[in-house]
Amino acid sequence: MMSATASHGRAVMLPSPSGALQHQQPSIGSDMFRLRRKEPRGLRLIVAAKYKGTKMREEKLSEMIVEKVKEATEVCEADVRSEECKVAWDEVEEVSQARADLRIKLKLLNQDPLESFCQENPETDECRIYED
Amino acid sequence: MAVSTIYSTQALNSTHFLTSSPSSSTSKQVFFYRRHQSQTNRRFNTIITCAAQQTVVIGLAADSGCGKSTFMRRLTSVFGGAAEPPKGGNPDSNTLISDMTTVICLDDYHSLDRTGRKEKGVTALDPRANDFDLMYEQVKALKSGIAVEKPIYNHVTGLLDAPELIQPPKILVIEGLHPMFDERVRELLDFSIYLDISNEVKFAWKIQRDMAERGHSLESIKASIEARKPDFDAFIDPQKQYADAVIEVLPTQLIPDDNEGKVLRVRLIMKEGVKYFSPVYLFDEGSTISWIPCGRKLTCSYPGIKFNYEPDTYFNHEVSVLEMDGQFDRLDELIYVESHLSNLSSKFYGEVTQQMLKHADFPGSNNGTGLFQTIVGLKIRDLYEQLIANKATAPAEAAKA
Repeated sequence: MMSATASHGRAVMLPSPSGALQHQQPSIGSDMFRLRRKEPRGLRLIVAAKYKGTKMREEKLSEMIVEKVKEATEVCEADVRSEECKVAWDEVEEVSQARADLRIKLKLLNQDPLESFCQENPETDECRIYED
Repeated sequence: MAVSTIYSTQALNSTHFLTSSPSSSTSKQVFFYRRHQSQTNRRFNTIITCAAQQTVVIGLAADSGCGKSTFMRRLTSVFGGAAEPPKGGNPDSNTLISDMTTVICLDDYHSLDRTGRKEKGVTALDPRANDFDLMYEQVKALKSGIAVEKPIYNHVTGLLDAPELIQPPKILVIEGLHPMFDERVRELLDFSIYLDISNEVKFAWKIQRDMAERGHSLESIKASIEARKPDFDAFIDPQKQYADAVIEVLPTQLIPDDNEGKVLRVRLIMKEGVKYFSPVYLFDEGSTISWIPCGRKLTCSYPGIKFNYEPDTYFNHEVSVLEMDGQFDRLDELIYVESHLSNLSSKFYGEVTQQMLKHADFPGSNNGTGLFQTIVGLKIRDLYEQLIANKATAPAEAAKA
Protein backbone atom coordinates (compact mmCIF):
# COMPACT_ATOMS: atom_id res chain seq x y z
CA MET A 1 0.00 0.00 0.00
CA MET A 2 1.42 3.37 -0.96
CA SER A 3 1.69 6.02 1.65
CA ALA A 4 0.19 9.41 1.05
CA THR A 5 2.40 12.29 0.19
CA ALA A 6 -0.29 14.59 -0.99
CA SER A 7 1.20 17.97 -1.62
CA HIS A 8 -0.93 20.85 -0.62
CA GLY A 9 -1.31 22.77 -3.82
CA ARG A 10 -3.42 25.72 -4.58
CA ALA A 11 -6.38 26.56 -2.40
CA VAL A 12 -9.74 25.29 -3.55
CA MET A 13 -11.68 28.14 -5.02
CA LEU A 14 -15.41 28.22 -4.64
CA PRO A 15 -17.87 30.04 -6.85
CA SER A 16 -19.52 32.67 -4.72
CA PRO A 17 -23.19 31.82 -4.24
CA SER A 18 -24.53 34.93 -5.84
CA GLY A 19 -25.34 36.11 -9.32
CA ALA A 20 -21.73 35.38 -10.21
CA LEU A 21 -22.69 31.73 -10.57
CA GLN A 22 -24.62 32.42 -13.69
CA HIS A 23 -21.58 33.69 -15.47
CA GLN A 24 -19.17 30.95 -14.52
CA GLN A 25 -18.37 27.63 -15.98
CA PRO A 26 -19.66 24.65 -14.08
CA SER A 27 -16.86 24.14 -11.61
CA ILE A 28 -14.87 20.99 -12.14
CA GLY A 29 -11.49 22.27 -11.09
CA SER A 30 -9.25 20.38 -13.45
CA ASP A 31 -6.78 22.17 -15.67
CA MET A 32 -5.95 19.06 -17.62
CA PHE A 33 -9.52 18.55 -18.65
CA ARG A 34 -9.80 22.10 -19.93
CA LEU A 35 -7.14 21.43 -22.55
CA ARG A 36 -9.49 19.03 -24.25
CA ARG A 37 -12.18 21.58 -24.94
CA LYS A 38 -12.48 22.61 -28.54
CA GLU A 39 -12.76 26.30 -27.85
CA PRO A 40 -10.22 28.20 -25.79
CA ARG A 41 -11.60 28.69 -22.31
CA GLY A 42 -11.59 32.47 -22.47
CA LEU A 43 -13.83 32.55 -25.49
CA ARG A 44 -16.36 30.08 -24.26
CA LEU A 45 -19.24 32.32 -23.35
CA ILE A 46 -22.56 31.19 -22.08
CA VAL A 47 -24.54 30.23 -25.15
CA ALA A 48 -27.50 32.57 -25.11
CA ALA A 49 -30.90 31.31 -26.10
CA LYS A 50 -31.04 31.41 -29.83
CA TYR A 51 -34.78 31.51 -30.28
CA LYS A 52 -37.31 33.83 -28.80
CA GLY A 53 -39.34 30.88 -27.58
CA THR A 54 -36.46 29.56 -25.51
CA LYS A 55 -35.75 32.98 -24.04
CA MET A 56 -39.43 33.19 -23.12
CA ARG A 57 -39.27 29.83 -21.39
CA GLU A 58 -36.18 30.86 -19.45
CA GLU A 59 -37.86 34.00 -18.23
CA LYS A 60 -41.13 32.29 -17.49
CA LEU A 61 -39.44 29.63 -15.40
CA SER A 62 -37.42 32.21 -13.48
CA GLU A 63 -40.55 34.20 -12.75
CA MET A 64 -42.38 31.08 -11.69
CA ILE A 65 -39.63 30.35 -9.21
CA VAL A 66 -40.09 33.76 -7.61
CA GLU A 67 -43.86 33.33 -7.52
CA LYS A 68 -43.87 29.83 -6.18
CA VAL A 69 -41.26 30.46 -3.50
CA LYS A 70 -43.41 33.32 -2.29
CA GLU A 71 -46.51 31.16 -2.37
CA ALA A 72 -44.84 28.31 -0.54
CA THR A 73 -43.49 30.62 2.16
CA GLU A 74 -46.99 31.98 2.74
CA VAL A 75 -48.76 28.65 2.69
CA CYS A 76 -46.29 27.11 5.11
CA GLU A 77 -46.63 29.89 7.63
CA ALA A 78 -49.90 28.35 8.69
CA ASP A 79 -48.66 24.77 9.09
CA VAL A 80 -45.26 23.62 7.96
CA ARG A 81 -46.38 19.98 7.87
CA SER A 82 -49.59 20.41 5.95
CA GLU A 83 -50.12 18.82 2.55
CA GLU A 84 -50.44 22.24 0.98
CA CYS A 85 -47.03 23.19 2.26
CA LYS A 86 -45.41 20.01 0.90
CA VAL A 87 -47.04 20.45 -2.49
CA ALA A 88 -46.06 24.11 -2.67
CA TRP A 89 -42.37 23.39 -2.05
CA ASP A 90 -42.55 20.44 -4.46
CA GLU A 91 -43.72 22.85 -7.14
CA VAL A 92 -40.78 25.09 -6.34
CA GLU A 93 -38.47 22.12 -6.76
CA GLU A 94 -40.07 21.07 -10.04
CA VAL A 95 -39.77 24.50 -11.55
CA SER A 96 -36.24 25.03 -10.22
CA GLN A 97 -35.12 21.78 -11.78
CA ALA A 98 -36.79 22.66 -15.08
CA ARG A 99 -34.98 25.99 -15.06
CA ALA A 100 -31.67 24.27 -14.31
CA ASP A 101 -32.25 21.69 -17.05
CA LEU A 102 -32.77 24.45 -19.57
CA ARG A 103 -29.61 26.15 -18.39
CA ILE A 104 -27.65 22.91 -18.73
CA LYS A 105 -28.95 22.35 -22.24
CA LEU A 106 -27.91 25.78 -23.35
CA LYS A 107 -24.65 26.07 -21.43
CA LEU A 108 -23.18 22.58 -21.42
CA LEU A 109 -24.71 21.01 -24.44
CA ASN A 110 -25.15 23.97 -26.78
CA GLN A 111 -28.55 22.65 -27.67
CA ASP A 112 -31.39 25.05 -27.91
CA PRO A 113 -34.47 22.89 -27.24
CA LEU A 114 -36.35 24.65 -30.01
CA GLU A 115 -33.64 23.89 -32.58
CA SER A 116 -35.33 21.09 -34.45
CA PHE A 117 -38.85 22.53 -34.04
CA CYS A 118 -37.70 25.83 -35.48
CA GLN A 119 -36.00 24.25 -38.43
CA GLU A 120 -39.37 22.85 -39.45
CA ASN A 121 -41.33 25.95 -38.49
CA PRO A 122 -39.06 28.97 -38.90
CA GLU A 123 -41.91 31.40 -39.43
CA THR A 124 -43.55 31.01 -36.02
CA ASP A 125 -43.17 33.75 -33.46
CA GLU A 126 -41.34 31.44 -31.08
CA CYS A 127 -38.68 30.86 -33.68
CA ARG A 128 -37.62 34.40 -34.21
CA ILE A 129 -33.93 34.67 -33.55
CA TYR A 130 -33.48 36.37 -30.25
CA GLU A 131 -31.42 39.52 -30.37
CA ASP A 132 -30.12 41.03 -27.17
CA MET B 1 -44.58 -6.67 -45.03
CA ALA B 2 -41.57 -7.09 -47.25
CA VAL B 3 -38.64 -9.35 -46.76
CA SER B 4 -35.83 -7.24 -47.96
CA THR B 5 -32.76 -9.21 -46.95
CA ILE B 6 -32.06 -12.87 -46.61
CA TYR B 7 -29.49 -13.82 -44.03
CA SER B 8 -27.90 -17.18 -43.52
CA THR B 9 -28.10 -18.71 -40.07
CA GLN B 10 -24.38 -18.12 -39.60
CA ALA B 11 -25.07 -14.42 -39.50
CA LEU B 12 -27.65 -14.90 -36.79
CA ASN B 13 -25.37 -16.95 -34.64
CA SER B 14 -22.96 -14.06 -34.39
CA THR B 15 -23.73 -10.93 -32.46
CA HIS B 16 -24.48 -9.14 -35.71
CA PHE B 17 -28.13 -8.38 -35.83
CA LEU B 18 -30.62 -6.57 -37.98
CA THR B 19 -30.47 -2.93 -37.15
CA SER B 20 -32.90 -0.24 -38.02
CA SER B 21 -33.09 3.46 -37.50
CA PRO B 22 -35.74 4.48 -35.00
CA SER B 23 -37.88 5.93 -37.76
CA SER B 24 -38.48 2.70 -39.65
CA SER B 25 -41.30 0.25 -39.17
CA THR B 26 -42.31 -0.88 -35.77
CA SER B 27 -41.50 -4.55 -35.66
CA LYS B 28 -39.13 -6.68 -37.57
CA GLN B 29 -39.96 -10.18 -38.55
CA VAL B 30 -37.44 -12.83 -39.30
CA PHE B 31 -38.41 -15.90 -41.20
CA PHE B 32 -36.31 -18.98 -40.91
CA TYR B 33 -36.34 -21.22 -43.92
CA ARG B 34 -34.48 -24.48 -44.11
CA ARG B 35 -33.59 -25.83 -47.49
CA HIS B 36 -35.41 -28.99 -48.26
CA GLN B 37 -33.40 -32.11 -47.51
CA SER B 38 -34.88 -35.14 -49.14
CA GLN B 39 -32.67 -37.61 -47.31
CA THR B 40 -34.39 -37.27 -43.99
CA ASN B 41 -38.01 -37.92 -43.15
CA ARG B 42 -38.26 -35.32 -40.51
CA ARG B 43 -40.80 -32.58 -40.65
CA PHE B 44 -39.22 -29.21 -40.50
CA ASN B 45 -40.30 -26.22 -38.55
CA THR B 46 -39.97 -24.02 -41.54
CA ILE B 47 -41.15 -20.69 -40.29
CA ILE B 48 -40.31 -19.08 -37.02
CA THR B 49 -41.25 -15.49 -36.49
CA CYS B 50 -39.55 -13.40 -33.92
CA ALA B 51 -38.70 -9.81 -33.26
CA ALA B 52 -35.17 -9.32 -34.47
CA GLN B 53 -34.76 -6.47 -32.06
CA GLN B 54 -34.47 -7.23 -28.39
CA THR B 55 -34.87 -4.19 -26.22
CA VAL B 56 -32.80 -4.05 -23.08
CA VAL B 57 -34.41 -1.99 -20.34
CA ILE B 58 -32.42 -0.03 -17.78
CA GLY B 59 -33.94 1.80 -14.83
CA LEU B 60 -32.37 4.85 -13.21
CA ALA B 61 -33.82 6.29 -10.03
CA ALA B 62 -32.88 9.80 -9.01
CA ASP B 63 -34.47 12.72 -7.24
CA SER B 64 -35.94 15.70 -9.04
CA GLY B 65 -37.34 13.57 -11.80
CA CYS B 66 -35.14 13.76 -14.82
CA GLY B 67 -32.53 16.17 -13.64
CA LYS B 68 -29.70 13.71 -14.11
CA SER B 69 -29.25 14.71 -17.73
CA THR B 70 -25.48 14.59 -17.44
CA PHE B 71 -25.58 11.00 -16.19
CA MET B 72 -27.79 10.09 -19.12
CA ARG B 73 -25.46 11.72 -21.56
CA ARG B 74 -22.47 9.90 -20.15
CA LEU B 75 -24.37 6.66 -20.42
CA THR B 76 -25.56 7.15 -23.97
CA SER B 77 -22.15 8.41 -25.03
CA VAL B 78 -20.60 5.02 -24.17
CA PHE B 79 -22.70 3.61 -26.98
CA GLY B 80 -21.68 6.40 -29.29
CA GLY B 81 -23.73 9.23 -30.67
CA ALA B 82 -25.23 12.19 -28.92
CA ALA B 83 -28.62 11.88 -27.27
CA GLU B 84 -31.02 14.51 -28.49
CA PRO B 85 -34.68 15.34 -28.11
CA PRO B 86 -36.94 13.84 -30.78
CA LYS B 87 -36.71 15.92 -33.91
CA GLY B 88 -39.65 18.01 -34.97
CA GLY B 89 -41.85 17.04 -32.05
CA ASN B 90 -42.97 18.82 -28.92
CA PRO B 91 -40.07 21.08 -27.91
CA ASP B 92 -40.90 20.44 -24.26
CA SER B 93 -40.47 16.71 -24.67
CA ASN B 94 -38.38 15.07 -21.97
CA THR B 95 -37.31 12.19 -24.19
CA LEU B 96 -33.77 11.74 -25.47
CA ILE B 97 -32.93 9.64 -28.49
CA SER B 98 -29.58 8.46 -29.82
CA ASP B 99 -28.68 5.67 -32.25
CA MET B 100 -28.82 2.90 -29.71
CA THR B 101 -30.69 4.33 -26.79
CA THR B 102 -33.92 6.08 -25.95
CA VAL B 103 -34.27 7.73 -22.57
CA ILE B 104 -37.77 8.15 -21.22
CA CYS B 105 -38.55 10.46 -18.35
CA LEU B 106 -41.01 8.83 -15.98
CA ASP B 107 -42.62 12.18 -15.20
CA ASP B 108 -44.45 11.54 -18.45
CA TYR B 109 -46.51 8.97 -16.55
CA HIS B 110 -47.91 11.49 -14.10
CA SER B 111 -51.60 10.80 -13.80
CA LEU B 112 -52.11 14.21 -12.23
CA ASP B 113 -50.81 17.41 -13.70
CA ARG B 114 -49.60 20.27 -11.52
CA THR B 115 -53.10 21.58 -10.88
CA GLY B 116 -54.41 18.12 -10.20
CA ARG B 117 -51.68 17.43 -7.66
CA LYS B 118 -52.38 20.71 -5.92
CA GLU B 119 -56.08 19.86 -5.69
CA LYS B 120 -55.44 16.42 -4.31
CA GLY B 121 -52.63 17.59 -2.04
CA VAL B 122 -50.03 15.14 -3.40
CA THR B 123 -46.48 15.79 -4.43
CA ALA B 124 -44.92 14.35 -7.60
CA LEU B 125 -43.07 11.92 -5.31
CA ASP B 126 -46.35 10.34 -4.25
CA PRO B 127 -47.29 7.19 -6.17
CA ARG B 128 -50.86 8.48 -6.33
CA ALA B 129 -49.66 11.08 -8.83
CA ASN B 130 -48.40 8.43 -11.25
CA ASP B 131 -50.04 5.94 -13.59
CA PHE B 132 -48.09 2.74 -12.99
CA ASP B 133 -50.46 0.67 -15.09
CA LEU B 134 -49.66 2.75 -18.14
CA MET B 135 -45.97 2.78 -17.29
CA TYR B 136 -45.97 -1.01 -17.09
CA GLU B 137 -47.94 -1.49 -20.31
CA GLN B 138 -45.76 0.82 -22.33
CA VAL B 139 -42.41 -0.38 -21.02
CA LYS B 140 -43.58 -3.93 -21.66
CA ALA B 141 -44.65 -3.02 -25.19
CA LEU B 142 -41.38 -1.31 -25.98
CA LYS B 143 -39.47 -4.24 -24.57
CA SER B 144 -41.39 -6.51 -26.93
CA GLY B 145 -40.55 -4.36 -29.92
CA ILE B 146 -43.85 -2.48 -30.18
CA ALA B 147 -43.95 1.30 -30.59
CA VAL B 148 -46.08 3.29 -28.14
CA GLU B 149 -47.79 6.66 -27.94
CA LYS B 150 -46.33 7.97 -24.75
CA PRO B 151 -47.81 11.01 -22.95
CA ILE B 152 -45.66 14.07 -22.41
CA TYR B 153 -45.57 15.89 -19.11
CA ASN B 154 -44.62 19.48 -19.79
CA HIS B 155 -42.48 20.82 -16.94
CA VAL B 156 -42.89 24.41 -18.09
CA THR B 157 -46.68 24.52 -18.19
CA GLY B 158 -47.25 21.72 -15.69
CA LEU B 159 -49.73 20.10 -18.08
CA LEU B 160 -49.95 16.79 -19.82
CA ASP B 161 -49.40 17.38 -23.54
CA ALA B 162 -50.38 15.26 -26.53
CA PRO B 163 -48.48 11.98 -26.72
CA GLU B 164 -45.40 11.35 -28.84
CA LEU B 165 -44.62 8.19 -30.74
CA ILE B 166 -41.72 6.22 -29.29
CA GLN B 167 -40.14 3.50 -31.39
CA PRO B 168 -38.67 0.53 -29.55
CA PRO B 169 -34.95 1.18 -29.23
CA LYS B 170 -32.15 -1.28 -28.65
CA ILE B 171 -31.65 0.12 -25.19
CA LEU B 172 -34.47 1.75 -23.30
CA VAL B 173 -33.59 3.78 -20.24
CA ILE B 174 -36.38 4.81 -17.93
CA GLU B 175 -35.29 7.49 -15.55
CA GLY B 176 -37.16 9.30 -12.86
CA LEU B 177 -38.51 9.04 -9.37
CA HIS B 178 -40.19 5.64 -9.54
CA PRO B 179 -38.56 3.21 -11.96
CA MET B 180 -38.40 0.48 -9.33
CA PHE B 181 -41.49 1.30 -7.37
CA ASP B 182 -43.95 -0.94 -9.18
CA GLU B 183 -43.12 -4.62 -8.99
CA ARG B 184 -44.25 -5.38 -12.53
CA VAL B 185 -42.04 -2.65 -13.96
CA ARG B 186 -39.19 -3.89 -11.80
CA GLU B 187 -39.44 -7.31 -13.40
CA LEU B 188 -39.00 -5.75 -16.82
CA LEU B 189 -35.72 -4.10 -15.90
CA ASP B 190 -32.56 -5.82 -17.06
CA PHE B 191 -30.48 -3.55 -14.87
CA SER B 192 -31.28 -0.85 -12.36
CA ILE B 193 -29.34 2.00 -10.80
CA TYR B 194 -30.16 4.20 -7.84
CA LEU B 195 -28.44 7.53 -7.34
CA ASP B 196 -28.31 8.10 -3.61
CA ILE B 197 -27.30 11.63 -2.69
CA SER B 198 -26.77 12.37 0.99
CA ASN B 199 -28.59 15.31 2.51
CA GLU B 200 -25.52 17.48 2.91
CA VAL B 201 -24.44 16.97 -0.69
CA LYS B 202 -27.99 17.47 -1.94
CA PHE B 203 -28.12 20.78 -0.10
CA ALA B 204 -24.76 21.88 -1.52
CA TRP B 205 -25.78 20.89 -5.06
CA LYS B 206 -29.12 22.64 -4.85
CA ILE B 207 -27.39 25.76 -3.62
CA GLN B 208 -25.12 25.63 -6.65
CA ARG B 209 -28.11 25.01 -8.83
CA ASP B 210 -30.49 27.61 -7.45
CA MET B 211 -28.60 30.46 -5.86
CA ALA B 212 -28.31 32.24 -9.20
CA GLU B 213 -32.09 32.47 -9.40
CA ARG B 214 -33.76 35.59 -8.11
CA GLY B 215 -36.47 33.74 -6.30
CA HIS B 216 -34.20 31.61 -4.17
CA SER B 217 -32.30 32.04 -0.96
CA LEU B 218 -30.56 29.62 1.37
CA GLU B 219 -33.74 29.43 3.39
CA SER B 220 -35.99 28.61 0.47
CA ILE B 221 -33.64 25.90 -0.75
CA LYS B 222 -33.48 24.38 2.71
CA ALA B 223 -37.25 24.60 3.17
CA SER B 224 -37.89 22.89 -0.15
CA ILE B 225 -35.62 19.98 0.72
CA GLU B 226 -37.17 19.60 4.18
CA ALA B 227 -40.73 19.75 2.93
CA ARG B 228 -40.13 17.03 0.35
CA LYS B 229 -38.17 14.80 2.67
CA PRO B 230 -41.08 12.83 4.21
CA ASP B 231 -42.46 11.81 0.81
CA PHE B 232 -38.97 11.17 -0.49
CA ASP B 233 -38.12 8.89 2.44
CA ALA B 234 -41.42 7.07 2.19
CA PHE B 235 -41.67 6.51 -1.54
CA ILE B 236 -38.35 7.05 -3.32
CA ASP B 237 -35.62 5.99 -0.92
CA PRO B 238 -36.89 2.41 -0.38
CA GLN B 239 -36.27 1.67 -4.07
CA LYS B 240 -32.55 1.47 -3.43
CA GLN B 241 -32.86 -1.99 -2.01
CA TYR B 242 -33.91 -3.24 -5.43
CA ALA B 243 -31.12 -1.60 -7.39
CA ASP B 244 -28.34 -3.65 -8.98
CA ALA B 245 -26.00 -0.72 -8.52
CA VAL B 246 -26.25 2.19 -6.11
CA ILE B 247 -24.09 5.26 -6.52
CA GLU B 248 -23.92 6.86 -3.11
CA VAL B 249 -22.62 10.41 -2.90
CA LEU B 250 -21.40 11.67 0.46
CA PRO B 251 -19.29 14.53 1.78
CA THR B 252 -15.57 13.94 1.76
CA GLN B 253 -13.73 12.54 4.73
CA LEU B 254 -10.44 13.98 3.52
CA ILE B 255 -11.15 17.54 4.59
CA PRO B 256 -12.18 17.99 8.21
CA ASP B 257 -15.41 19.98 8.66
CA ASP B 258 -15.87 20.45 4.94
CA ASN B 259 -19.34 21.76 4.26
CA GLU B 260 -18.93 23.03 0.76
CA GLY B 261 -19.68 19.74 -0.93
CA LYS B 262 -17.07 20.29 -3.60
CA VAL B 263 -14.89 17.32 -2.78
CA LEU B 264 -16.95 14.16 -2.68
CA ARG B 265 -16.79 10.66 -1.37
CA VAL B 266 -18.57 8.39 -3.83
CA ARG B 267 -19.41 4.74 -3.26
CA LEU B 268 -20.35 2.32 -6.01
CA ILE B 269 -22.37 -0.43 -4.35
CA MET B 270 -22.66 -3.40 -6.71
CA LYS B 271 -24.96 -6.32 -6.11
CA GLU B 272 -23.37 -9.73 -6.39
CA GLY B 273 -24.96 -12.48 -8.42
CA VAL B 274 -26.67 -10.28 -10.98
CA LYS B 275 -26.83 -11.95 -14.37
CA TYR B 276 -24.40 -10.47 -16.92
CA PHE B 277 -23.02 -8.02 -14.35
CA SER B 278 -19.58 -8.54 -12.89
CA PRO B 279 -18.63 -5.93 -10.30
CA VAL B 280 -15.53 -3.80 -10.69
CA TYR B 281 -12.80 -4.55 -8.19
CA LEU B 282 -9.47 -3.35 -6.93
CA PHE B 283 -6.48 -5.72 -6.92
CA ASP B 284 -8.09 -8.80 -5.40
CA GLU B 285 -11.76 -9.63 -5.83
CA GLY B 286 -13.67 -10.16 -2.62
CA SER B 287 -10.93 -8.87 -0.37
CA THR B 288 -10.73 -5.57 1.50
CA ILE B 289 -8.37 -3.00 0.06
CA SER B 290 -7.51 0.52 1.07
CA TRP B 291 -5.51 2.38 -1.54
CA ILE B 292 -4.03 5.83 -1.78
CA PRO B 293 -2.53 6.13 -5.27
CA CYS B 294 -0.65 9.33 -4.47
CA GLY B 295 2.95 8.65 -3.53
CA ARG B 296 6.22 8.19 -5.28
CA LYS B 297 4.85 7.40 -8.70
CA LEU B 298 1.97 9.85 -8.63
CA THR B 299 1.88 13.29 -7.09
CA CYS B 300 -1.55 14.60 -6.25
CA SER B 301 -2.57 18.00 -5.06
CA TYR B 302 -4.68 18.60 -1.99
CA PRO B 303 -6.82 16.83 -0.82
CA GLY B 304 -5.63 13.86 -2.83
CA ILE B 305 -7.40 10.62 -3.69
CA LYS B 306 -8.29 7.61 -1.56
CA PHE B 307 -9.86 4.36 -2.69
CA ASN B 308 -11.53 1.60 -0.74
CA TYR B 309 -12.85 -1.72 -1.89
CA GLU B 310 -14.60 -4.32 0.21
CA PRO B 311 -17.36 -6.91 0.27
CA ASP B 312 -20.39 -5.98 2.35
CA THR B 313 -24.10 -6.60 2.80
CA TYR B 314 -26.71 -4.09 1.73
CA PHE B 315 -30.38 -4.75 2.58
CA ASN B 316 -29.64 -8.44 3.03
CA HIS B 317 -27.84 -8.74 -0.30
CA GLU B 318 -24.20 -9.44 -0.81
CA VAL B 319 -22.50 -6.52 -2.46
CA SER B 320 -19.07 -5.27 -3.40
CA VAL B 321 -18.35 -1.66 -2.65
CA LEU B 322 -15.80 0.43 -4.51
CA GLU B 323 -15.30 3.84 -3.00
CA MET B 324 -13.42 6.93 -4.14
CA ASP B 325 -12.86 9.98 -2.00
CA GLY B 326 -11.17 13.07 -3.45
CA GLN B 327 -10.60 14.64 -6.81
CA PHE B 328 -8.71 14.05 -10.01
CA ASP B 329 -6.66 17.02 -10.90
CA ARG B 330 -4.69 15.72 -13.83
CA LEU B 331 -5.15 13.30 -16.66
CA ASP B 332 -2.35 11.05 -15.47
CA GLU B 333 -4.07 10.54 -12.13
CA LEU B 334 -7.14 9.28 -13.91
CA ILE B 335 -5.28 6.91 -16.22
CA TYR B 336 -3.20 5.66 -13.30
CA VAL B 337 -6.30 4.82 -11.32
CA GLU B 338 -7.96 3.21 -14.32
CA SER B 339 -4.97 0.96 -14.89
CA HIS B 340 -5.32 -0.45 -11.37
CA LEU B 341 -9.03 -1.22 -11.51
CA SER B 342 -10.18 -4.63 -12.70
CA ASN B 343 -13.31 -5.88 -14.42
CA LEU B 344 -14.10 -2.52 -15.92
CA SER B 345 -15.61 -4.05 -19.08
CA SER B 346 -13.66 -1.53 -21.10
CA LYS B 347 -12.76 -2.45 -24.65
CA PHE B 348 -9.31 -0.92 -24.61
CA TYR B 349 -6.84 0.49 -22.15
CA GLY B 350 -7.77 4.02 -21.22
CA GLU B 351 -11.37 3.84 -22.38
CA VAL B 352 -12.71 5.11 -19.06
CA THR B 353 -10.32 8.05 -19.16
CA GLN B 354 -11.26 8.76 -22.74
CA GLN B 355 -14.95 8.81 -21.90
CA MET B 356 -14.35 11.09 -18.95
CA LEU B 357 -12.36 13.48 -21.13
CA LYS B 358 -15.11 13.54 -23.73
CA HIS B 359 -17.36 15.10 -21.14
CA ALA B 360 -14.81 17.05 -19.16
CA ASP B 361 -17.31 19.90 -18.96
CA PHE B 362 -19.87 17.89 -17.11
CA PRO B 363 -20.19 18.18 -13.35
CA GLY B 364 -18.44 15.32 -11.58
CA SER B 365 -15.78 14.87 -14.23
CA ASN B 366 -13.05 15.15 -11.67
CA ASN B 367 -14.41 12.88 -8.98
CA GLY B 368 -16.09 9.58 -8.26
CA THR B 369 -19.50 10.61 -9.61
CA GLY B 370 -18.22 10.96 -13.17
CA LEU B 371 -15.91 7.97 -12.79
CA PHE B 372 -18.57 5.61 -11.50
CA GLN B 373 -21.25 6.85 -13.88
CA THR B 374 -18.84 6.13 -16.74
CA ILE B 375 -17.99 2.70 -15.36
CA VAL B 376 -21.69 1.89 -14.96
CA GLY B 377 -22.10 2.91 -18.60
CA LEU B 378 -19.46 0.37 -19.63
CA LYS B 379 -21.09 -2.27 -17.47
CA ILE B 380 -24.42 -1.66 -19.14
CA ARG B 381 -22.81 -1.98 -22.55
CA ASP B 382 -21.28 -5.26 -21.47
CA LEU B 383 -24.60 -6.49 -20.11
CA TYR B 384 -26.33 -5.48 -23.31
CA GLU B 385 -23.85 -7.32 -25.52
CA GLN B 386 -24.09 -10.46 -23.43
CA LEU B 387 -27.89 -10.34 -23.43
CA ILE B 388 -28.04 -9.91 -27.17
CA ALA B 389 -25.55 -12.67 -27.80
CA ASN B 390 -27.56 -14.93 -25.53
CA LYS B 391 -30.87 -14.15 -27.21
CA ALA B 392 -29.42 -14.57 -30.70
CA THR B 393 -28.37 -18.14 -30.03
CA ALA B 394 -31.72 -19.15 -28.54
CA PRO B 395 -33.88 -18.82 -31.67
CA ALA B 396 -31.23 -20.53 -33.80
CA GLU B 397 -31.37 -23.47 -31.43
CA ALA B 398 -35.15 -23.58 -31.62
CA ALA B 399 -34.89 -23.90 -35.40
CA LYS B 400 -32.90 -27.10 -35.07
CA ALA B 401 -35.90 -29.02 -33.78
